[in-house]
Amino acid sequence: MFRAISTLHALRYIKFARSFQTNRAILAQAQRSTASTSNVQDTPIVQYVKKKVEERRKLQSELSEEALSDEDIKRVRKIRELEPLQDAWVEWSHAKQSLEETLPLLDDPDPTMRSMAEDEYAALTETIDNLVENTFPTLLVPSSDTAHLSAIIELRAGVGGSESALFVGDLVRMYTRAAQADGWDVSMISSNVLETGGIKDAIMEVKGNGVYDALRWESGVHRVQRVPATEANGRVHTSTVSVMVLPLAEETESNSADDELFKMDEIKLEVMRARGAGGQHVNKTESAVRLTHIPTGISVSMQDERSQHQNRRRAFQILRARLMDRKLNQEMLDRRDLRRNLVRSADRSEKIRTYNYAQDRVTDHRLGMSVKNLMMVINGDGLQGFIKALQQRHHDEMLEEVLSQ
Amino acid sequence: MPSRLFTQLSRAIGRESAQNELRWMRRALENPIRGIEPASRTIDDMVARRIRGEPLQYILGSQPFGPLNLAVRAPVLIPRPETEDWALRLADTIRAPSSSAPRRPLKVLDLCTGTGCIPLLLCHALPRGWAHATGVDISEHAVRLARENAGLCGIPVATNPHADLEQEGHNTFMPVLADLMQRNFVNRAGLEPPYDVITSNPPYIPRDEYDRLPASVKDFEDVRALLGDSVDAGDLALPQDERDKGLTFYHRIAELLRDHDLLHAEGTLALEVGKGQAQDVADIVERKARMRHVDIWKDPWGVERVVVARP
Repeated sequence: MFRAISTLHALRYIKFARSFQTNRAILAQAQRSTASTSNVQDTPIVQYVKKKVEERRKLQSELSEEALSDEDIKRVRKIRELEPLQDAWVEWSHAKQSLEETLPLLDDPDPTMRSMAEDEYAALTETIDNLVENTFPTLLVPSSDTAHLSAIIELRAGVGGSESALFVGDLVRMYTRAAQADGWDVSMISSNVLETGGIKDAIMEVKGNGVYDALRWESGVHRVQRVPATEANGRVHTSTVSVMVLPLAEETESNSADDELFKMDEIKLEVMRARGAGGQHVNKTESAVRLTHIPTGISVSMQDERSQHQNRRRAFQILRARLMDRKLNQEMLDRRDLRRNLVRSADRSEKIRTYNYAQDRVTDHRLGMSVKNLMMVINGDGLQGFIKALQQRHHDEMLEEVLSQ
Repeated sequence: MPSRLFTQLSRAIGRESAQNELRWMRRALENPIRGIEPASRTIDDMVARRIRGEPLQYILGSQPFGPLNLAVRAPVLIPRPETEDWALRLADTIRAPSSSAPRRPLKVLDLCTGTGCIPLLLCHALPRGWAHATGVDISEHAVRLARENAGLCGIPVATNPHADLEQEGHNTFMPVLADLMQRNFVNRAGLEPPYDVITSNPPYIPRDEYDRLPASVKDFEDVRALLGDSVDAGDLALPQDERDKGLTFYHRIAELLRDHDLLHAEGTLALEVGKGQAQDVADIVERKARMRHVDIWKDPWGVERVVVARP
């Protein structure tokens, strides 16, 4: 996953191999690997950090005495922003220098000195590794601007008829259990249950910090290969379910974020059925509504709640989520146009995962990662592995994007 | 989902409604609203009652109304979505002119209050200390239910019209048992005009239409909440053709406004009407109650539903 980010892999290997080798061998190896990666500053990430640190120094030198002009204010802000990176760089430089100073001591005739040097070496190596593999990336990759958002999961049966609908039900259960295990609040906003027991489509709400960031990579087509419960012949069928994960903001009285997403006069609100004379003449529950956002044509129908007011609230919630999703995707596309195409956008029709019951295996096609024990995944417990790996992949891609600037 | 129940219910009310209503029945049993008991303990019983024509709302014992959850029980009129729509709009209208509190709390009067839905929604929607509401109904069932709903909605019940002295900083509601058609109504109800907001969803269905109402309305909800042709119209002396249009209560309300200065000079009157009645009621309110500014609001189905007037 990390390409040449840590050239000190070699030194780390030494740590593991330590128990099987003599000191002399260890020393020899250390000298060799340091020599072969003679210029550690070849590492892209270290190079990049150094570049940033030099940028900062330059800004500081450009700062005028009183630092009052608009330009100066911008400089001061940038200087402040880069301070944590500067601190990390200083730490790295010192550790690197100490490491080089310790190297000859590994050769020292005095066994006590040697032993101390080895410990020192190991500790410094760990510090440097940590800086390069954790601290630098964290400081360089901008923190997620969606970190606080909850999520809406929309599931829709695809190819496969009633079998696909049954799988929708399985996925709903999977996400419900996985979310609950993580201490998130899960509830079903709306669902279209078929007489055959499957679910044609469903909208779930998952609330909690970091939920959207965790679940967003579930968007795409999930494929199931198994013998349907209804299949008499025992033949394996392939069905699909499409999943869409949307960002969900906190619902507040006056959503100031809404001003960015839509204006009320862009919304068409319709009731779904005629009511005849209505009013006192009729006591049938008629709560279905449809919202249309005219500029984009996005339309949300809602009838799962018992009152117009409640359905309207839900519909606005979904609309907001869809509009925010659109906005985020557009931002990602805009970034792609400006830079090299590194950051993936979620192509909703992409087949992202296959659940193969016969082989008891779940494969994520983006990661090329297969997991045995399908039941554990479908029960929600095994999903976490995929989620973490996908989040890491995204993080790595973001880092590559930064380094390519 | 047990197919059997779905099939039975579909035959009675149609597939789409059946799917929704089964969902709501299940929800009411699995996740009951605090303080509200469904009328049945089993889904089979609920479906059986529904097939016999009983309104779902009575079976579940509740009706959402704006952000509130109200208890409903036969024979008190079940709050309608049209009413929910205009009550919410009215709350916004009252708040709009100033985001700062009015100089003194507003006095709200709701006639034919039923479950208390309109005044309770206003009390909930308006900021604290803005409103003291009174809800009047002829039915003991209604008055009792309205009081219960105030409790469910967390709105303190005032015991006398001087509530504003007792409950500083809270919106309050006072349910009153009285017959607005009776001669001494204003006194007997202990009303203290003028009121800043007067609302009503009075019975407005003409006799001939009443006879043709669907069973779920006619056989379960209080005729006194529906029939707008009151036999006992007191002193109204209405011509027969006016009476047959279901407009009796509007005449009476206009009369009360005129004779007792019920509405404050800067107050607002909002009356829900039946389909096709808006123009007539606007006339009544203009002529008899001398309202100068009269508006008509449509409901979400495009029907002229509310006459909103100011003196």
